[in-house]
Parts: sequence; C-alpha cells; structure tokens
Amino acid sequence: MSPAVRAYLRSPAGMIGLLLLLAVLGAALSAGWLFPRDPLSLAGRPLQWPGQNPRLPLGTDNLGRDIASFIFHGARVSLLIGLAASAVAVGIGVLVGAVAGFYGGWVDDLLMRITEAFQTVPNFILLLVLVAVFGSELSVITVAIGLVGWTAPCRLVRAEFLSLRNREFVLAARGLGMRDARLILGEVLPNALPPVIVYASVVMAVAILLESALAFLGLSDPNIASWGNMIGAGRSVLRAEWYVSAIPGLAILVTVLAFSLVGQGLNDALNPRMQVAA
Amino acid sequence: MAAAQGTPQRGGTLTVQINSEQRVLNPAIQASTGVYVMASKMVEPLVDLDAQGEPVGVLAESWESAPDGLTHSFRLRRGVTWHDGKDFTSKDVAFSAMECWKKILNYGTTLYQFLDRVETPDAHTAIFKFSRPMPQGLLLRALPDLGHVIPAHVYEGTDIRANPANTAPIGTGPFKFVQYERGQFLMAERNPNYWRGNGLPYLDRIVWRFIPDRAAGAAAIESGQVQLSPYSSLSLSDIARLSKDPRFTVSTKGNEANTAHTVMEMNLRRQELSDVRVRRALCHALDLEFFIENFLYGYAKLGTGPIPSSSAAFYVPRPAPYPFDRARAERMLDEAGFRRASRGAQRFAQPLKLLPAPWGEYTLNFATFIQQSLREIGVRVEIEARDAPGFLTGVYRDHNFDLTTGWHQYRSDPAVSTTVWFRTGSPVGAPWTNQYGYNNPEMDRVIDAAATELDAGHRKALYQDFVRIAIEDVPVHMAVEHAFISVYSKRLMSSHNTPRWASSSWADVWLAPA
Repeated sequence: MSPAVRAYLRSPAGMIGLLLLLAVLGAALSAGWLFPRDPLSLAGRPLQWPGQNPRLPLGTDNLGRDIASFIFHGARVSLLIGLAASAVAVGIGVLVGAVAGFYGGWVDDLLMRITEAFQTVPNFILLLVLVAVFGSELSVITVAIGLVGWTAPCRLVRAEFLSLRNREFVLAARGLGMRDARLILGEVLPNALPPVIVYASVVMAVAILLESALAFLGLSDPNIASWGNMIGAGRSVLRAEWYVSAIPGLAILVTVLAFSLVGQGLNDALNPRMQVAA
Repeated sequence: MAAAQGTPQRGGTLTVQINSEQRVLNPAIQASTGVYVMASKMVEPLVDLDAQGEPVGVLAESWESAPDGLTHSFRLRRGVTWHDGKDFTSKDVAFSAMECWKKILNYGTTLYQFLDRVETPDAHTAIFKFSRPMPQGLLLRALPDLGHVIPAHVYEGTDIRANPANTAPIGTGPFKFVQYERGQFLMAERNPNYWRGNGLPYLDRIVWRFIPDRAAGAAAIESGQVQLSPYSSLSLSDIARLSKDPRFTVSTKGNEANTAHTVMEMNLRRQELSDVRVRRALCHALDLEFFIENFLYGYAKLGTGPIPSSSAAFYVPRPAPYPFDRARAERMLDEAGFRRASRGAQRFAQPLKLLPAPWGEYTLNFATFIQQSLREIGVRVEIEARDAPGFLTGVYRDHNFDLTTGWHQYRSDPAVSTTVWFRTGSPVGAPWTNQYGYNNPEMDRVIDAAATELDAGHRKALYQDFVRIAIEDVPVHMAVEHAFISVYSKRLMSSHNTPRWASSSWADVWLAPA
C-alpha cells in the first residue's frame, strides 16, 4: 500500500466522505434495478406523505412522482453532471494554466486576461446566459457548468507551473533536448497535479450545486430526474408538504458533503508536508 | 359587530397583493386583468357589469342602437370631472375610441376594426359609427374591458404609448393616483369629488404591493399586511390551506367574468398532429378529472368547449367532449397508422416537443401531466422549459413546438377573446391566437357571420356551430375551465359582488374594524 493511500485511510474526514460517496454511487447504480419505471411518470395520487403508502416509501411530490425513485435516479444525474462538468472544467483549466505558466511572457499575459474576463462575471450569471442562449438540454448544461468553472483550476495549475518550470529537474530535462510538449506533460504536469486533484472534488460539489440551482429556477432540463427540479416543484407546497423539497435537499447535502470530505481526505493524503510528517 | 356586517364605515387603507407588474396603468391601451386590478380604480369605462352580469352605465348613462347595427349612441354622465379638475366630455370618449381602443388596445384593434368615427353633436353625446354591423350585445359586453376613457387634453398631440400618464393615470374614478414605485408599490387615495357622491368612496387609500413570490404573498396575507390577494396569486397549496382558516374567505365568486381555460395547443404543422384522429386520441388520453382533483385541488372543472359555462349569453350545456379513455386513445392511434411494436415502443419516430406556458401552476403542472399521460399510450413528450419572452416567441412567432399548454381567457363574448384562437389570418407573432396552422374555411365563415349577426338568437346559434367545429377539429383542447380564486380577509366588505369585481372601481368597498 502506497503511503498516500495509507494517509487517506487514516483521515477520518476522507473515510466518511468515501462511505457517503459509495452510498450515492450505490443509489445511482441500483436505481434502474430497484425502480424500473420512469421516475418522471405518475406513480400515484400527488402529495402522499412518506410512510403513508407502503408502495411509495418516501411518498409522492405535488406532481404525483415517486420521491424514492426520483432520489435514486437523481443520483445518476448528479454524479454524471459532477464528473462530466468537472472533467470539462479541469481539462480546460489544466490546458490553459499549463501553457500560460510554462511559457510565461505575452502568452501568459494574453491567457490570464482571458481568464480574468471569465472571473469578473459571476459564475451563476454566466451560466444563466449560456443556458438562455444554448438551451437547457443535459449535455449543454454540463458543458456550460464546466465552462464557468475552469478559471480556478487554471490559476492553480499556472501557479504550480510558474514555480516548477525553473527547477533543476526541468532544466536538466530541457538540457537533454526534451521537447516542450514532453516537458509539460511528462515532467512538470505530474508534479503540479496533486493540488488540482484535491480541487477537482470541490469543482464536482460546485457543479452539482449549480445544476440544482438552475433546476430550482426551472431552467434545467425538465425531462431528467434532477434533485433541483423536485425542490423547485416542491416550493409551491413548502408550507404544508415540506418533505417534497426537504428530501431531495438532503440528497444534495449528502452528495456535496461527500465530495468535500473526499477532497479533504485527498488533501491530507497528497499534501507533501503531511507525508514528511508521516 | 352588527355595525360591521351592515353599515359601511368610512376610512382605512386596503392593501392588495399583486404578483406581476406590467408597468402600464392605462387600460385604454392595454387590456389585461393585471392592468384593471389597479388602474380601473382610477380610470373608468363607459359601461360595467352589475351583480347579475348585465351591462350597467358608468360614464355612459344610457344608450341606444339603430336597427342596422351601424350606429350606437351613448348619452354621457354630466357633472363628471377628471382628477385634474377639467370636465369630462364626449371629446374624451371620441379620442379614447379612435386613438386608443381602435389603434392600440389589444382585442380592441379587432373589435373596433370597422369603427369609422365617433360623432360628438354635443358635450354629452357620443355616437359610434361602424361601417359593418356591430351587435349591440357584443359592444356592451366588450365595453367593461375595452371601453376605458382617458382624458383627451392629457394625451392629445403626444405619443400615446410614451405618455407619462400611462404610469401616473388621470381618470374620473373614485381613487386618485398618488405614487408608483416600480417593484415596490402603487398608491391611490380617495377622490373627494367623485361623481357618485353619497360619501363614496369609503376607503381612504388603496395600496397595491408587488409580491411576486407566492410563498411571501401567503405570509403577507396571513400576517395581515395585505387584505386581498386577487386573481389566483397564491400557490394552490396555500389557497387550500387558507380556505380552512376562519380569518379568510377563499372563493371564485366575483371572478365569473374572468373565466379561463387551461388548454393544450397542437401544432398542425407536425405531420402526426395534422391527422385529426391523432389529436382526438391525445385528448382522450388525459384523465382530466384526476388532474383537477389532485393537481388543482379541485379548484377547476372539466372544459366543455371554447365557450365556458360562465357565459350566460352563449353557453349551452354539453358534456366534456373528450372523456378519459386510454384504450380508445390507443385504438384511435392504431387506426391512424401509428402502431407500436411492443408495450415499451414509441408510436412516433420523434418525441413531441412540448413548450409549457410559464403562467404558474395550472399550465406548468398540466405540461407535466400531459407528458406523464401520453407516455402511457406510447407517445414520448420532451418538455422544453422557457421564460415568458422565450415561450411567446417560440410558440407564437417561430411556431417551434409540437404541443404547448396555455391560457385562454374568455372575455364576455366569443368575438372579443375566443374566435381569434380558431380563425385564419392572425399575423404571425400575435400571442393567444391561431398560430398552430389550423385552417378550416367553414370555421372562418361561421366566425365572420357571427361577428356581424345582429339577431341575438341567431348569433347564439352560430356560436353553437362554432363550438361544434372547434371540438370536432380540436386544434386546441380547452381541457380545464376555472375561475380565478380570490383570497381575502373577512374584514373586506361589499366585495366580490359583481362578475368582474376585482377589475371594477371598488367605490363602495369598505373595511370592517380589525
């Protein structure tokens, strides 16, 4: 077992996060088997309380949908959006950050001005604009969330590259005649990656929250079982049937918490100073 | 308490919840309940409806029509002054009719299309001259909505649409404009020189507070900050909850003239939907009784056609045309050639694209219900949510939809509000008109004949033909009929006693002591 894995297993936050994440993953994987019906279909009379009907353990929402089925299928959507959107965000961020940090000079200036242009617009406003222009299909929303979230990983990678590019091992590799692409990918990037991996878990949590916020406003894809959709629908019955919003809210809380705790665990595991201490 | 029940008391401030703001307070250029609920306390029409739903004079005292239906004379009330002190005369009526109702006002541009001129032989007579027959009944039923008079001396020679009086109205009504803060409130105070006299109006002040969030609206009425929430401005869940609270009255009474349908419009440009058998099958697939009971808390009833049951002059009782029958719906689709290979298979190659109208719970929940119901008969529906401007351009200008949900608001006479949903020739982009490619020459003929038919009996008979064809061809399914719901404090007295009460002048409304 590598020291990093051992360090992770010793981190209580990381272990709790991992267990929660496995639970969410289990829900996502078992959704089709436990609830074969379309989660958007009419399952029964609307607004049945949890426990009222044994066939519907978590009750129905104000549109007659089975809340339990919705939660399980919603886990798929949330994980999918979390993973795909952070892949887009980190992908763009690493590419731009690496080029800017490695080359410096006018390339760096140009790319950083572009990054700042994105950073000055509040994330959610930019997301609303993208959704208004390109529509609200799941694929569009995922890419849009990725597009509004790439600046932070980008700056992180750039900073790492700036500090690494003049180290002895890089200079030595350059002296051996290594090309830029190999230098970036083979030498500098692996050393710059640990903080990015930690940050990726934060990006995933933020991506899930952004999609939920969009759905709450009724601007996400209404044809998917997204937790935010159900919270938004339940808003009109909040005073009497609060569980319609509370149950998917709890699901979002658990999932986002899982990603954050996993991130903290990874931080403990990958932080070089911690390794020295261990 | 006995005094509170019977004798009106002077004074007090009535605060009203408003959940959408149109930023226009001139009912002579914008016909909408959202305008009337505020502006009609300050600006008055020629005619309104009395408790029985019959026309009663407001700024007009009496009227008579020539037998040919081309000339309608109105004798105007004397001794009426505008809020700025000038006298109200026939010149104001002529100006409002020719410059606003005929040229700008929605619905009015159609209704007054053949209004040639308004003659003013003296200061208190206005004679409407039409070039085609105008049934007197149609005109009188339309005037409460499409007959508000604004002062000519304020508007003449200006750009009417940009006149500052559009948001600071000068009228003849029982309340005078005080202040309008966008997004916050509108305030009007008692007009001491109101022409009705007799101590009217009773209230000192009316404040309309803009509270778009429905939950906040419910909190405001429960805490006593507002006394009236008109036009279904709260969520149905809160309305059902407040109906059990003894402090409030929850009722559709007083909104009979504002009946609306929640509708499903079908785009005939889509190949499958151009087949009337398919359209009928989709209607049969909707269990509307379940929808009304469980999604709308019972605050609605089955629609029976484009003329609602509240229309005393034109409604003939009939059963709901498309009762729920899933097996029949499936059979009809089979017969139309859209079979499905297995239970899980789809009948159409492409899913139907449904744009839900963002007008609140009725239309949004109906969209979900349509999606759920059609899924059961093998028709997949994809919902594409849009904001209000995106919805209006998507449906009514770009025709980029297969199905859409919507509101059909009936306004006193089919010729005012309803026939435009079925007649050809509406300009592209005009909302709430036939934009789904429906074209039946027989339908056009019936609509045109009814619009100029002077005999009330014949007119009613023609509209029965209209209803029959509309149901048979069903380009738009008038699925659910509902009146608006008012929620108000039991302190609010002599309210909701006319069929369009929330749009009336409120001169005799009073507040019992708390």
